[in-house]
Amino acid sequence: MAVIELTNAAGAVAPRRRRARVAAARVGGGIGVLLPILLLSSFITYSLGALSNSNPAATILGQDAATPAAVAHLNHVLGLDKPLLVQYWDWLSQAVQGNLGTSYFTQIPVSVSISQRLPVDLSIAILAVILAVILGGTAGTVAAVRRGGWFDRGLTVVCSAVSTLPAFVVGIILVVVFAVGAHLLPANQYVAPAQGLGPWLAHIILPALALALQLAADIARQLRTSLVGVLEQNYITGARVRGLPYRRVLIRHALRNASGPALVILGNDFPIMLAGAVAAEAVFSLPGLGQLLLNAAQSRDIPVVQGLLLVVSTFVVVVNLVVNTVLAFLYRSSEGAGT
Amino acid sequence: MSRRSRASGGSVLRLPSARIAVVILAAILLLAFFGSALAPQNPLGIDSNALFEGPSKAHWLGTDYLGRDVLSRLMAGTRLSVLTALEAVGIGLVVGAPLGVATVFLGRTFDFIANRVADALMTLPSIFFAVAVTAALGNGLVQAMFPVGILFIPNFFRLTRAATLDLARAQYVEAAELLGGSKLHVIRVHVVRKVFPTIAVATATACGAALLSVSFLTFLGIGVQPPTPTWGGVLSSDLNYLNLAPWAPFIPGALIAVTVGALNALADAYRDKTGPGTLLLPEADPVSKTHATLEAADARQPAA
Repeated sequence: MAVIELTNAAGAVAPRRRRARVAAARVGGGIGVLLPILLLSSFITYSLGALSNSNPAATILGQDAATPAAVAHLNHVLGLDKPLLVQYWDWLSQAVQGNLGTSYFTQIPVSVSISQRLPVDLSIAILAVILAVILGGTAGTVAAVRRGGWFDRGLTVVCSAVSTLPAFVVGIILVVVFAVGAHLLPANQYVAPAQGLGPWLAHIILPALALALQLAADIARQLRTSLVGVLEQNYITGARVRGLPYRRVLIRHALRNASGPALVILGNDFPIMLAGAVAAEAVFSLPGLGQLLLNAAQSRDIPVVQGLLLVVSTFVVVVNLVVNTVLAFLYRSSEGAGT
Repeated sequence: MSRRSRASGGSVLRLPSARIAVVILAAILLLAFFGSALAPQNPLGIDSNALFEGPSKAHWLGTDYLGRDVLSRLMAGTRLSVLTALEAVGIGLVVGAPLGVATVFLGRTFDFIANRVADALMTLPSIFFAVAVTAALGNGLVQAMFPVGILFIPNFFRLTRAATLDLARAQYVEAAELLGGSKLHVIRVHVVRKVFPTIAVATATACGAALLSVSFLTFLGIGVQPPTPTWGGVLSSDLNYLNLAPWAPFIPGALIAVTVGALNALADAYRDKTGPGTLLLPEADPVSKTHATLEAADARQPAA
């Protein structure tokens, strides 16, 4: 312990440069670990096409034109006659440059259809995270501050009830209450933010809320537990004794140190939110990635399916890296503040 | 050990929440096996004179848009939903748990590879992956739940590995080895039995998650042809007629929620009774939920 403090003190000569170096090393190390993972998961994704016993060339040509010679020719053009590893490498080197191939059926480039639909899911997912942080953060903090009170006990019940309700059921409840019952908000369609922020928000607030509830419950539960632990620490009493206002102690001393585990949950769940947006899309019939995936799966449009999986899993990995880096910083700076 | 575990098993059932959960789950299992036979009416029987009826003596849970009896459809749909959920959990448990124990004893290379494969699998969101696999393997619920099971493997693997790692370092395991117990004997008697409660709780939680996945997949229309009744299917058909019958989706929704809630309550009761510290679970220690990449990054460069 003493040694650590000594090195900290020695390093404090140029804290900013040192911190930058640590950050660079951490991000670099993270990428070093993540690249093989991405390579492996993209290979799993690509092999899906090889697993399928469907014959894309025959499907594209249609029943009449699918003579063996024509099928063989098209297979050659599509590169489907090469060994799996060669195909994978071709696909991956194209994908890195942003070319995910074209759909077998619509002939639209996969990257174009994905980038058309990604804003829908991203708006829902980001708004859901914001809502979850506000709802969960407030609820967790209030419950921890008023520990054992009616709000605290009620929150426990609500959280365990919410954890049994999947997002699509919550979505349906919201539709029934706000769209069918009260006619307050639209229950379907998507409006791009370019056509006005108000309509955009009105169309995504219900799907986002449906998605946010579960995460909010997780955050509230976690924040309550860790905040209760932190509020019992001596340094909180110390800060109060020194005459700092309670609000300042709560936000700058307690919440900052207690938010770590809740942030971990947030970081783990945010990528899943993108996939969870599929549920919200289905209930509110929004034209997002989920709809694209479902249509592609039904018509066995393998390039679209592969491209979607690659994009989503890359997203998961990148967000995880970002969250882990941020977390490492938070813990580091709070350590520094403590000693 | 065996006496203690029996005692703790008994005391779990002394909790009222656990008892209610067990009764609910027994009823669901009964429906899974005999649901179609017990259904009061034909789940596929169409009655154009009784559309969107509310609960009545003839139709306890009302009728749907074709006048079919909702209670019968839910009862008949239980089997497919429950069995495919068990399929997914079974795959995860049978592959993941033994690997988690084995990896601790098989050396660092194996451990490293297994962990990286688990990392890679964890980047694939389960519903996305499940739908994608149906594109490759064909549209069936058994096919769709297979990838969900594959994605359960890293969960079981991680939990079992963490619990085993803890135990493998315990002094009594060392003592057993020093007393001349063979490796297999030590693993079987001193490690696996102790890891068992962790796996049991993880299995209950995974069953809940799998049921949610099945419901969602059938809700999306993956894996089943329209007349076949499933929990999610009943829910999605109600969705098109919200203006006519706004209460209808709450019945299958409540059924799903109650079943998942019962599984979670059972897991919670078992966890509480076995006591904190004996079990290594994500809820007990949220930081262990951190993506393994952080752990790996930390291992590479020690803190401070």
